[in-house]
Amino acid sequence: MIEKDSRNIVLEEYENEFSYKKSQSNLNIEFNRIAFIFFIIFTISLIYSIQLIHLGSLQSNNKTVTSSLKKKNYRADIVDNNGNYLAKTVSSIDIGINPVEVIDKKKLLINLQLIFPKKNFSNIKKKLNGNKFFYFEKKITAENYEKIMKLGDKSIIPEAKLTRIYPQENLFSHIIGQIDDDNNGISGIEKSFDEKLKKMNESLQLTVDTDIQFLIREELIKFQTIFQNIGSAAILMDVNNGNILSMVSLPDFNLNKRESIKDVNYINRATKGVYELGSVFKTFTIAAGLNEEVIKPDEEFLGLEKKIYCDGRPIGEYDEISPDLTVEQILIQSGNIGSVRIGQRVGKEKLKLFLNNLGILKKIDFDIEEVGQPIPFRWGKCKLATVSFGHGITTTPLQLAKGYSIVTNGGYNIKPTLIKQNLEKKKKSILKKGVSKKMNLILRKIVSTDEGTAKFANVSGYEVGGKTGTAQKSVKGVYSKKKVNTFAAIFPMSKPKFVLIVLLDEPKVNKEYIYYYRDDRPPYKGNWRNTAGWTSVEVAGKIIEKIGPILATKYIEIN
Amino acid sequence: MKKMLLILSIFLLIVVTALIKNSTKKIEDQIFAINENIRVLNAHLEDVLLEYNYLSSPKKLLQYQSQYFENDLIQMNIVNFKVISEKGNQVIIKNFTLNSENND
Repeated sequence: MIEKDSRNIVLEEYENEFSYKKSQSNLNIEFNRIAFIFFIIFTISLIYSIQLIHLGSLQSNNKTVTSSLKKKNYRADIVDNNGNYLAKTVSSIDIGINPVEVIDKKKLLINLQLIFPKKNFSNIKKKLNGNKFFYFEKKITAENYEKIMKLGDKSIIPEAKLTRIYPQENLFSHIIGQIDDDNNGISGIEKSFDEKLKKMNESLQLTVDTDIQFLIREELIKFQTIFQNIGSAAILMDVNNGNILSMVSLPDFNLNKRESIKDVNYINRATKGVYELGSVFKTFTIAAGLNEEVIKPDEEFLGLEKKIYCDGRPIGEYDEISPDLTVEQILIQSGNIGSVRIGQRVGKEKLKLFLNNLGILKKIDFDIEEVGQPIPFRWGKCKLATVSFGHGITTTPLQLAKGYSIVTNGGYNIKPTLIKQNLEKKKKSILKKGVSKKMNLILRKIVSTDEGTAKFANVSGYEVGGKTGTAQKSVKGVYSKKKVNTFAAIFPMSKPKFVLIVLLDEPKVNKEYIYYYRDDRPPYKGNWRNTAGWTSVEVAGKIIEKIGPILATKYIEIN
Repeated sequence: MKKMLLILSIFLLIVVTALIKNSTKKIEDQIFAINENIRVLNAHLEDVLLEYNYLSSPKKLLQYQSQYFENDLIQMNIVNFKVISEKGNQVIIKNFTLNSENND
């Protein structure tokens, strides 16, 4: 049945209507492919750009790494007024040896002996036989470093370090101060400018002059052997702006040795030492009187007593002087009773205010932290009398320099500084007009006349003026026979430019020393007077003679 | 067409940025190298200055004086100082005096 059916095949025409059409969808596929290629190119470019940016930023990263390494023990250099290094951070290499890694000990020892022929090798031989790492040579020179590294021994380990060096050694020890092993300042400028020195890239410039500092120190050392004083201090300051050109305190110490100093005799006498300075205060009493217009330079004080009593204690004159003196003569001859009378005329409150304005009574704001605190006291009638001639009142030599600067510079307030600043400061007047002019004339006569107490400082050509001060040293609240002799010098007196304070702590008389007068008088040998006029004044005169030419040519404008 | 232009401009910008960055990198390299050289020279200068400061320090100068110039180097008195100035074709030599003006 099936076969029968298969015979009847019916062919039907299949209509397949095929026609090619450019479909919209096909076109989209083509565009996406181009976009894809562009996307790939874009991505590659992007990666390339990122890589470039990354490479560019790598440099700055490296810089920060090196700078952070540099910062670890870095401190900015300290230079003087002329740009000479006072403190400098230098990189140094220490050579260590690890005995465990030494292959041939005998060969290494021979090679090292050839490089360091002067070195003692007995200790090193012992250390080489041990197992512990040890430093063979610290702060090695570049030449020896090259030689030792050429040995190519694995046991030799170089260690790079930053070291602080002080090329002037003792010269600025009290000003610069010390740092500890962790690179922290522990005294002087190193302490007070610690953070700044660690951050700043440029050098810190001070006002001090190395040459002047050296000459002043040399003179102080020389006279320390002559007068056998336990210590001394000197300050040279510009009276018009407070710039300190030199500040020496003896004894001093070598900053490179980094010794721990506990002896109180090593204190900075110029800023930290608080002293009763004696008659140098009379200048302030007279200046206060002139400022308050209660006295005139030629005004006479007649019938001055030889001795007066205050709280049962006598006040007399050191030398026999006339009972009739003018104000000028009281200061020139350093009269105690006359100064008391002037002080009484000024009055307690006004004298106190005057000394306060000069910055004598309170702790001074200074660039280093080693600053002394003047001993406070109660102002009574008796205190007014003793303060008038410089007893029972204490201050530091630095504050004395400031006070003398204000009295002589026209009455303008100044701030003593060690840091060089190029900014012009506004001047604020403390004293009335004319006071300085009157004071300067008197101060000059103390040095230039026979009546004065400071003839040995009358160095020709410098118009030196000033006031002496001899004070008994107070030991545990009781006056002793020990002295503190001070001379406050100003020069040139016709237009004051510098104040020089010279303080000798516990000087003794020297009967062998020959004094050469600065006039026609013959030399004088054998001094028995332990006063400022015979000690500090002589030192100040010699100092001015030495530093004068430098000051005149470098620091004084020639008209 | 707009899309094509946009893509093309982005591509061009990337290429230009890459090229500029590449060329600035070369300049930066040069600047870095110069800075490094300056740093080395500065370090060298500082070392030389330190040596100069030490050798010309007052302590050393006095040592040289006593060794070599004992009779040649003498301290000048300020009285012997002269001030030389020029006025037109004339050279004027005056005695050195400290200022004698009054300050008040």
